Amino acid sequence: MASTVEVVEAFTIVLAVATLRGWKAAGIGTLAALGVLAAIVLVFAPLLALVPLHGLQLVIGVLLLLFGLGWLHKAILRAAGVMALHDESAIFERERRAIGDEAARHETTADWIAGIAAFKAVLLEGLEVVFIVIAVGAAAGSLWPAAGGALAACLAVLALGALIRKPLARVPENALKFAVGIMLSSFGVFWTGEGLGVVWPGADLSLIGLVVIFAVAGLAASRLLAPNRLEVA
Amino acid sequence: MSILSDVVKELFGMFLADLRLAVGIFVLVGVVAFLLQGLHVASLIGAAVLVIGSLALLVEAAMRKARR
Repeated sequence: MASTVEVVEAFTIVLAVATLRGWKAAGIGTLAALGVLAAIVLVFAPLLALVPLHGLQLVIGVLLLLFGLGWLHKAILRAAGVMALHDESAIFERERRAIGDEAARHETTADWIAGIAAFKAVLLEGLEVVFIVIAVGAAAGSLWPAAGGALAACLAVLALGALIRKPLARVPENALKFAVGIMLSSFGVFWTGEGLGVVWPGADLSLIGLVVIFAVAGLAASRLLAPNRLEVA
Repeated sequence: MSILSDVVKELFGMFLADLRLAVGIFVLVGVVAFLLQGLHVASLIGAAVLVIGSLALLVEAAMRKARR
């Protein structure tokens, strides 16, 4: 799910590049960024195996809490109508104009600029996915299934996007972000607790309880904040 | 150079975009660690403080941003 959300955002910029300078520049930039992201996973994953489990769970738990609560509170604000939803069509037009202007100023290196734009978009959006894959995979001892799931979601979104050649504006991004925020926060609390020596009632099953608690709290907070609508551009 | 600085900004934003929330999380983890390791309270109490504290931080961050 996290991979889907991030790839949808990256694809909007890759598509803007492709419509301006063709799929070659967009494809090279995208593949180069995916290569860098894969290298990060391959370098960091074996190193994490050397860290003692409780220490690893505590560090990853705290990082997941920082990341998950940050993601979830923004999803709550978007669901409440306090913060503007991501508008992929508007972002597509904005990026298209920005890359077009930049390319026009440096006509001889236009393909290079377009390729770099695609590279940066995929790299920056992909960093969050890489963190989730390494964190969730390492602490649960299932790194390769996590990486495989993220890669499959990434390829599926890119293939769908390349087929329809439009920004994927109808993907329910905030609902996905809400769900991912709930899961990251729940894993964060669970592993932070494990790292500090908490014995969770029901062991791993308590994760389901944490997911329910965060989901109820998140939905209640978005309802509570809904009347205070503020327009944030 | 611009790509590198953008990567650093992205990493910073991933974890510390809301500094008050981040400090709250570190304080909460410190308090739970003290309860469990220093005062040797029951594991369930430590777990409850961690869960309730996280929910409080989440709601506080959302309400603070909504008031702006």
